[in-house]
Amino acid sequence: MLEIKDLHAGFEGTEIIKGVDLTIKKGEVHAIMGPNGSGKSTLSKVLAGHPDYEVTGGTVTYEGKNLLDMEPEARALEGIFMGFQYPVEIPGVNNSEFLRMAYNARLLYKDPDAEEIDPLDFEEILDAKMKLVEMDHKYKERFLNDGFSGGEKKKNEILQMAILEPKLAILDETDSGLDIDALKAVSQGINRLISGENAVILITHYQRLLEYIQPHFVHVMSAGKIVKSGEKDLALQLEAQGYDWLTAPAT
Amino acid sequence: MSTTTEETAQAESAFLELHKGRQQSTQAPEAVKELNQAGIQRFELLKFPHSKHEMFTYVRTVDTVATPYALAGPEAVSKEFIESASYSACEQTRLVLVNGFLNEELSNTEGMNGVKVSGLSEALGQAEVRDYLRSGAENENDVFASLNAAFFSEGIFIDVPADTALKSPVLLLCISTGGEKPKASFPRLLVRAGRGSESNFIVKFVGQRENYLVDAAQDFILEENSCVGLTQIQADLGNSRHFCKTRVRQKKDSRFNLIGSLSGARLARDHFECRLQEPGAEMSMKGVTVLRDEEQAHRFIRIHHEAPHCVSEQNFKNVINDQGRSSIDGTVIVNQGAQLTRSDQLINNLMLSDGAHADGKPNLMIFADDVKCTHGNTVGQIDGDQLFYLQTRGLSREAARSLLTTSFAQSIIESIPHPEAVADLNDTLLKKLEAKNG
Repeated sequence: MLEIKDLHAGFEGTEIIKGVDLTIKKGEVHAIMGPNGSGKSTLSKVLAGHPDYEVTGGTVTYEGKNLLDMEPEARALEGIFMGFQYPVEIPGVNNSEFLRMAYNARLLYKDPDAEEIDPLDFEEILDAKMKLVEMDHKYKERFLNDGFSGGEKKKNEILQMAILEPKLAILDETDSGLDIDALKAVSQGINRLISGENAVILITHYQRLLEYIQPHFVHVMSAGKIVKSGEKDLALQLEAQGYDWLTAPAT
Repeated sequence: MSTTTEETAQAESAFLELHKGRQQSTQAPEAVKELNQAGIQRFELLKFPHSKHEMFTYVRTVDTVATPYALAGPEAVSKEFIESASYSACEQTRLVLVNGFLNEELSNTEGMNGVKVSGLSEALGQAEVRDYLRSGAENENDVFASLNAAFFSEGIFIDVPADTALKSPVLLLCISTGGEKPKASFPRLLVRAGRGSESNFIVKFVGQRENYLVDAAQDFILEENSCVGLTQIQADLGNSRHFCKTRVRQKKDSRFNLIGSLSGARLARDHFECRLQEPGAEMSMKGVTVLRDEEQAHRFIRIHHEAPHCVSEQNFKNVINDQGRSSIDGTVIVNQGAQLTRSDQLINNLMLSDGAHADGKPNLMIFADDVKCTHGNTVGQIDGDQLFYLQTRGLSREAARSLLTTSFAQSIIESIPHPEAVADLNDTLLKKLEAKNG
C-alpha cells in the first residue's frame, strides 16, 4: 500500500527526515515512536503534503502512484487520512456542514456522476458515527473545532476518519493531551475502524496508547531515521528502558 | 493642475449655488426650508474636508465633491424592481424612498399596527421634534450630514408608541435612480421608539442605474426601556457614492442592536454616532464588509458613554480583495462619571490580495476610573494551517479558500435576525467572493 524509500525532507532548509524506509501493507497497524524532535510529526506532515515541508530525496509510492507528486486534497481523496496532533480551529465553519462537504468531495471523486448526499441521509450517517466515537451531538452545530476541549478535538478527528473511511490513516499523536477516559474513547473509536482492508500508522510518544490499540509493528525514530523496528514487545522495552539505549549510538 | 483646496472651494460654491436655486424652486414646507437653511449655514462653516481632516484621515472625497450633481427628483420606479429588492416578511411594513422622496404607491404600512408614519414636515409641528432636528443641524460635525440637512425635502418620521411591539420588521428601501448625468439625493429618517416599545428596521440602499450620490441621515431616539433592532444593507451600485450618518440617542435601559453590511462603492462611508445618555442603556454594533475591484467602504464611529452602567459592543469583519480599500475609525468615549461602563471593540480584516488596503483605528478615551474596556484590530490573510487542514479532508485549494473566506463574513451575516436578509446577503455579498475565487 505504502512504500517509503530513503526519504529525506526538511523545513525551511533544515533537514529533519534523513533517510526513512518503511513499507506498510493492507491490514497492518504500525506504531512509530520516538523522542521529541526525532521527526515523527514531520514524517506525517510530509505524507499528508504540507506545503511548508520540502522533500529533498527519496520516493514515496502509494498504491503504485508517486505520492509526492500529489496535492494534499488528491492524497485525501485517494484514501489517505491525517489525524492532526493539533486540530485546527475554524470559526465560522459549521462542523456538520464541513463533514458533509468532505463526505461529498470523496463521494464525487469516487464517482463523478454520483449525486451529493441528501442532508437528511447524511445526518443519519453522522449520528451513527458520532455514537461510534462517543461524541456528544451538540458538537454537530458548533464551529469546526472552535473552543473544543483537547479531547473533543481528537474525537472530532476520529469522527472525520470514520466518515471518510480512509485506506491509510496516519494518526499524529492522537493520544497526547488526553485524560484516561478520552484516551479510552478515542482508541476504542480507532479500534472499531481498523479492518483488514485498511492500514493505520500511529505516531505516538507514549506506550500508553498501545495498551488499547495493538500494533503489528513498532518502529523507533531518532534523529530523522528509523533506528529500530520490531513487534509489540519493542514498545514495552522502550517503556522500561527509555529511548537512550537506541539514540545514544546515533549521536 | 488645481490644488485640493481650490477643488474643494469650487465644489463648495457649486453646492451653495445648487442650494440657492433649490430654495427658490422647492415645494418643501417652510419648516423644512428653515431646517435646510440651518443645514447650509453649517455646511459653509464645516467645508469639504482637505486631506488632513481628522474625520477623513482614510477617506479621500475630492473627486466625489468635485463632481457636478443635479438634484434627483421623485422618479418612477418599476414594481418589479421594488419586488426584487424587498422581503416578503415586510410586505405590509414597507416604505419606499425614491431619491429620498416617499413613494406612497409602492409603500405599504398596513402591518404597522399603531405605528405612526408621516413626513418629517408634519412632525416638525411638534416642538420636541423641531428642536431636536434644529439642534442636530446646528451642531453637526460631519459636512456630508450637514449637506443632507441642507437638501432633504421630505424625510420620514416613524413614531413607535409606548409599549407597542412591531411584529414585522419595517423595511425602508432607499432607491437611487441614477442616470446619465450624476444626481444627488438626500434621504432622511427619524425614528422615535416610545417607552417600552420594541421594533425592528431594515434600511436597504440600492441603485437602479449608476452615477449617483446618496447622502442619507437617520436618527433613532430610544426612550426608556425600548428596544430597536436595525439591519442596514448598503448594496449600492459599484460606481456610486454613498454617505450615511446615523445618530442614536439612548435613554435608560434601552437596547439598540445594529448589524450593518457594506458592499462598497466608488466611495461608501458610514458615520455612526451613539450616545448612551442614561444608566442601563446597551448597544451592539456588528458590521461586515466585502470589497473587490477598486471599491471602498469606510466607517467612522463615535460611541459616547455618558451615564454609568452602560454597555457597548462592536465587532467588524472586513474582507478585501483586489484594490479594495476599507477603514474603520472608531472611538469609544467614556465620560467622567460613567462608571461601570463595559465596552468591547474588535475589528478583523481579511486581505485577499496584495493590492488590498485596510486601515483600522480602534480608540478609547476614558475619563472614568471604574470601567472595563477592550479594543483590538487584526489584519491577516487566509491562514495556511486552516487551508491545509481542509485540503487534507479532500477539499480543493480553491474550495477551501472560498469556504474560509465566506465563513469569515458569514459569522456576522448569520447573526442578522431576518432570514430573508441573511439569504439576500449570502446571495449577493458573498457571491462577490465566489466570482473572484473561481
